[in-house]
Amino acid sequence: MTEEQKVILVADDDKDLVTALSIRLRAQGHLVVEAYDGEQAFQVAQENKPDLVILDVRMPAGGGFAAIDKIKHSLSTRAVPVIFLTAFDDEEMREHARQLGAVGFFRKPFDDGEFMGAINSALGS
Amino acid sequence: MKAYRIVYLGSDSDFLSSLESSLQQVGWPILREPGDADGTRRALTFNPDLVLWDCDNDQPGEGFPLEMLRGAGFTTQPVMSVVRRDDPRSTINSLAGGAADYIAKPLSEMPVPRLLAALNSGRRQLRIDWFGRVVDESNNQVKGMLANLSDPAYVVKPDYQILWMNRAAEEIFGEGQRGGTCHHVFYERTEPCEACAKSEGMARWRAALKNGKTYRFVSVLARNGKGEIERVVAGTDITPDEEVQKIHKTFVANVSHDLRTPLAAIDQYVSILNDGLAGELTDEQKAYIDIIQRSSFRLHNLVENLIDANKILSGEFKLRMEVVKIEDVLGLVLESLKAQAADRGLEIQTQVAEALPPVYVDRARIAQVIANIAGNSIKFTEQGMIQIRAGFMPRDDGKVMVSVEDTGIGIPREDLGKIFELFYRVENDQVYVEEGAGLGLSISREIIRTHGGTLWAESMEGAGSAFHFTLPVHSGERQDAAGAQGL
Repeated sequence: MTEEQKVILVADDDKDLVTALSIRLRAQGHLVVEAYDGEQAFQVAQENKPDLVILDVRMPAGGGFAAIDKIKHSLSTRAVPVIFLTAFDDEEMREHARQLGAVGFFRKPFDDGEFMGAINSALGS
Repeated sequence: MKAYRIVYLGSDSDFLSSLESSLQQVGWPILREPGDADGTRRALTFNPDLVLWDCDNDQPGEGFPLEMLRGAGFTTQPVMSVVRRDDPRSTINSLAGGAADYIAKPLSEMPVPRLLAALNSGRRQLRIDWFGRVVDESNNQVKGMLANLSDPAYVVKPDYQILWMNRAAEEIFGEGQRGGTCHHVFYERTEPCEACAKSEGMARWRAALKNGKTYRFVSVLARNGKGEIERVVAGTDITPDEEVQKIHKTFVANVSHDLRTPLAAIDQYVSILNDGLAGELTDEQKAYIDIIQRSSFRLHNLVENLIDANKILSGEFKLRMEVVKIEDVLGLVLESLKAQAADRGLEIQTQVAEALPPVYVDRARIAQVIANIAGNSIKFTEQGMIQIRAGFMPRDDGKVMVSVEDTGIGIPREDLGKIFELFYRVENDQVYVEEGAGLGLSISREIIRTHGGTLWAESMEGAGSAFHFTLPVHSGERQDAAGAQGL
């Protein structure tokens, strides 16, 4: 591995999607940690101090918005970039995510090139 | 005075020469064509502002052919009938059939004022009669009684000064508001509302009023008994619908969410397999994965189209406007269109006029329109080519016109007026088309309409089709209206 290994948290209640993203991100040399609800996403973020968080919006136990709110208010994770990945198509939601500090907002099904590009640029910063 | 372009569809040479000499005095060009399909097609390329239809063209028992003319591409122009002075039956038939007005022949007076009135009134003339009734002048039908409506109605001058309110409006806004301006008195705004300011004819909007109810308003420009233009506004209480709409909106949001979620997973696993992350694939496996990917893409398009159609029906359709060059919009879709065309052995040619000013549009939506109509062209063309051209609209440099022309199977005349309807599909024995729910064109027309443009089609069965749309060029003031534009 030539690059430094990055830790990415993928949180989505669609476990099939989490598994797929994990396989692909691991193939790119990243370390992936997984969560399946909002509360778990925050806990896993606290434990692993990831370099990037990918969050679904609608999840059990608070969902993605509650999770980002806690992540951004925790000293140890406040600087971690967050990208949202949701099947909702809603301008207000996009704006809300931006205000909560997200650096990206992708709608499922997403353009793979753009999504991977956003991940790389978030990891680079 | 602007030189209006007039088309006369008919074969009465005496009438034509007297009309020509009248129009020469004001410098208006006129084109004469017979009232058949070829003549109509040629007339369309003349790009007229007004169409004169000679009722001598009609077979006995045939009604005024307004729908046919609209379907042939005269989508917005006022259509006037030309009738014999001694033939009241044709006069009445044509007015009942939607003619904006009629001209009697032989001409006994200068026809220009009458043509001007029709040009200014657009397709339909509404007026308020002495009894406060709304009368559609094209067929003299009473549309309703403003005074007695239980919902608010009012009449304002073109400068928005209130002339008259019905009792329901007075109950909401109070009496004695005459003379104030409507946007100020009714909506507490300093500037006229966008819906009216932007529209040249009919405007629609929704508003929540002081009484806690929500209304859908429609306003039309109408001519009063003295020939002065007034804006007539009538509201419909839609408060009970709001709750239903909220439920409907949530339902659609959830359904589309749940349809998209598995599509994302399918795409990801296709990528995993394609990238060889689950082992090397045989050629046969690769071919099957291509099919999965194509099917997923089609399902994706269908879901997005259904969501768009729903937004249109519920008035939730929003645009993200920006100043952009039309060639950049074209660039978003050209590569994939060329690939689609190449698969069918077809060529796509593009031509963009030099020094074309930018347009103020939602680039993704306009790209969607181009992809849709050019995609249709590719689908329905067996051999030949597809041409995409962008230039100024002939004789109107305030508009950019984009045309997609093909050498395909064409559209039957009886279908031409219907292809823009939701869920309409042309039945065709020659070509079996597996995709499509009949949504693309109606969505496209709505997208163009919300941009202040027009989308229309012309076609000859067996020879090809041409779809054209116009967009207003970007001008400074337009930027003030930036932001999401609802319907």
